[in-house]
Amino acid sequence: MESPEQGHLQYISGGDEYTDEEEIKRQEDFATEKSKASAANKNYTILTEEDIFRRQGDAMASVCSVLSVSKTAACLLLHRYNWSANVVLEKWFASEESVRKAVGLLPESTNPVIGMSRSSSSSSFDEVLCRICFENFPPESFYSAACGHRFCESCWKSYIRTAINDGAGCLTLRCPETSCGGAAAVGLDMIGLLASREDRRKYNQFLLRSYVEENRNRKWCPSPGCAFAVEYHSAGGDDDGDDYNVTCNCSHSFCWNCTEESHRPVDCETLEKWKTKNDAESNNTQWIRINTKPCPQCNRPIEKNQGCNRIACLPPCKFQFCWLCLQNWSVHGYNSCNGYKSTTEKLRIATEEEINRKHFNRYTHFYERWASNENSKKKALLDLGRMDGQLEKLSEAQSQPKLMLDFVVEAWKQIVECRRILKWSYVYGYYLSEEEEESDVNVKLPLFVYLQGQAESGLERLHHCAEQELEQFIYGECNFEKFVDFRSKLKRLTRVTGNYFENLVGALKNGLSEVDSNGDHKRLRRR
Amino acid sequence: MQASRARLFKEYKEVQREKVADPDIQLVCDDSNIFKWTALIKGPSETPFEGGVFQLAFSVPEQYPLQPPQVRFLTKIFHPNVHFKTGEICLDILKNAWSPAWTLQSVCRAIIALMAHPEPDSPLNCDSGNLLRAGDVRGYQSMARMYTRLAAMPKKG
Repeated sequence: MESPEQGHLQYISGGDEYTDEEEIKRQEDFATEKSKASAANKNYTILTEEDIFRRQGDAMASVCSVLSVSKTAACLLLHRYNWSANVVLEKWFASEESVRKAVGLLPESTNPVIGMSRSSSSSSFDEVLCRICFENFPPESFYSAACGHRFCESCWKSYIRTAINDGAGCLTLRCPETSCGGAAAVGLDMIGLLASREDRRKYNQFLLRSYVEENRNRKWCPSPGCAFAVEYHSAGGDDDGDDYNVTCNCSHSFCWNCTEESHRPVDCETLEKWKTKNDAESNNTQWIRINTKPCPQCNRPIEKNQGCNRIACLPPCKFQFCWLCLQNWSVHGYNSCNGYKSTTEKLRIATEEEINRKHFNRYTHFYERWASNENSKKKALLDLGRMDGQLEKLSEAQSQPKLMLDFVVEAWKQIVECRRILKWSYVYGYYLSEEEEESDVNVKLPLFVYLQGQAESGLERLHHCAEQELEQFIYGECNFEKFVDFRSKLKRLTRVTGNYFENLVGALKNGLSEVDSNGDHKRLRRR
Repeated sequence: MQASRARLFKEYKEVQREKVADPDIQLVCDDSNIFKWTALIKGPSETPFEGGVFQLAFSVPEQYPLQPPQVRFLTKIFHPNVHFKTGEICLDILKNAWSPAWTLQSVCRAIIALMAHPEPDSPLNCDSGNLLRAGDVRGYQSMARMYTRLAAMPKKG
C-alpha cells in the first residue's frame, strides 16, 4: 500500500476547492462502485483505502456546500458523527449550537474566521508572552485557533506533535488555553500548517481509520496484513435474511458477527464453544494423532500432505486406503465414512470411565474430521493460488486459450468453500450427536449423517478429479477427446457438489426440521 | 530537556514574584533539582479541610509542559479522589485533559478546587466516595475533618 502522503490520499492539501475534472472522476467512480455492488448482489461492500478516502472526500464536499463551512469544519463534524453527512446535517439543523459545542466550532458571530488565524496585530512592536514557554516573541510568530488564544509557533508544533504521537485522540485536539475550556478545535488546517510531514501522514491515517473504526457497520478485514475494510448492509429486521458470511478481496472469508473465519453452518455461539473445547483438550498427542497415522498395512507413519482423503502408501507397500477410516480403498471407494458409530453397542450400565472414554472417542472422531478438512482447505487454498501458473501450462499442453480453462478455477473455488462448510458441519455434528445422546433420541442424526455423507463423497470425488486427474493433462501427452471428457466431468462434479452442499447448509439452517416432530429446534438453529 | 528546564525556571521566577499574590499556595523548588517541587496549600474555607495545611509533592517529567507533572499528597487526607495510602490524585487535568498551558501554580489551584468539590463517582478512596454517594455528608465531613486535625494541623502544645 502506498503511503498516503506520496499518493493522492491527502486530506491536508493547499486548497479546499475541488476542480471540475476531479468532480467528474468522482461521480464516475461512484457509479462504477455502485454497479459493482448491485451486480454481485451482496449485503456487504469491500472498501479499499482509496474508496474510504474518496467517500470521506465526498462527505466533506457535501457538508461544505450545504452548511457553507470550511473543509476543516466539515471534517470535524463528520468525524464526530461517524462520517455520515446525513447525520451531520440532521444534528446541525436540530441544534447548531450544541453541535458546534460538541466539535469545538465557535459560533460565526464571535469569530468569522473559523480555523487558523495568524495574529495580525502589527500596530506595535511589543513582544508578546507565549503562555506555554513563557518566552517573549514578536507578534507575527504567534498562531491561534478560532478562539484567538495565541501561542508561539514552536509551542504549537510541540503540542501538535505530542498529540499526534499519543494516538487517535489528536482528531479531537483543542486549543491548549485552560480558560478556553476546549471551545475551539485544532483541525486539518492547523495540522497542515504546523505538523511535520511524518506527523501529517500519521494524522491522515488516524482520519482514514476513524471512518472504519468509529462506525458499527464497518470493520477491517481481520486477515493479517490485509488493508481492506468491509461495510455491512444489514438486511434490516428480518434476522433470517442476515447472512454474516463475508469474503474480503484478499480472499479471506470471515463471519461479520464474530470476525472469526467463516463458520457456516454453525452459529457464532457454537463456534466459541468448540474453540474453548479444543483449547482445553489440545496437546501434543492430539497433534501427532491428527497429523500422522501408521499405514494400516505396513505401519509406516504417514503424514498427509495432499488434499484428498485417498491415500496411497509408498512402494513397495502401495496400499491404498481412506485417510479417515483407514479402510482399504478398493472396498471403501468413494463411499462415505462420515457417520459416527459408537464402539460400545451393547446395552449395559456404563461406568464413569467408559462414559469418559465414549465422550473422548466421539470428540476425537469429530475433531479429526474437523481438523482434517481444515488442512485440506488450507492446501486447496494454496493450490488455488498456484492455479494461474498451472493453467498457463495446461493452456500450452492442450492448445486451449486460458479463458476456456476457467472451469478449473471454479472447481477449486468450490473445493475451498466446500471444505470449509464440511469442516464446520463436523462441529454441528458433534453437538448434535451429543444432544441426541443426552436426550436418548436418534431423529436428526441419521438425516444429518446422510446429507453430510452425500456432500462429503461428492467433494472427495471433485477434489480427486481436480487434483490428480488434472495433472495428467498438464504433464501427459495431448489427447483432446480425453480432455473434453475431463472438462465435462469436472464441470459436472463442481455443480453436483455445490448442490449437495447447498442442501446440507439449507437443512442445517432450518435445524433439520424435516424430521422434527416436536417443532423443538431452537438450539440447533443457525443464527 | 532544555525546554522543560527553561519553562520551569520561568515558573520559578514567576512564583518568587507572585508569592504574596496567592496566600493559599506556597510553591517551593527543590534546592538541587528543578524537576522536584513541593507545595503547601491551605484547605479551602467552608470545607472539612479548612484550617489544615497540606503538602504536595511534584515530580516533573522531562517532556514538561507537554506531559503533565506527577503530583501526590504527602499529607494524609480523607477525600474521594485521593488515594488514602499513596496520596495519588485522580484529576483529569493531570491525566488526559492536561494542557501545556497549565502551570504548577494553576495545578495547585485546581487541586484546591478539587478539595472543595469532590467527585465521588470516580473514587480512589472508596470509603470516602461511598459515604458521599450514599448521601452521608455528615459522615464524610466528620471523617475528613478528623483526618485534617490529625494530619494537617500543627500539634498543640
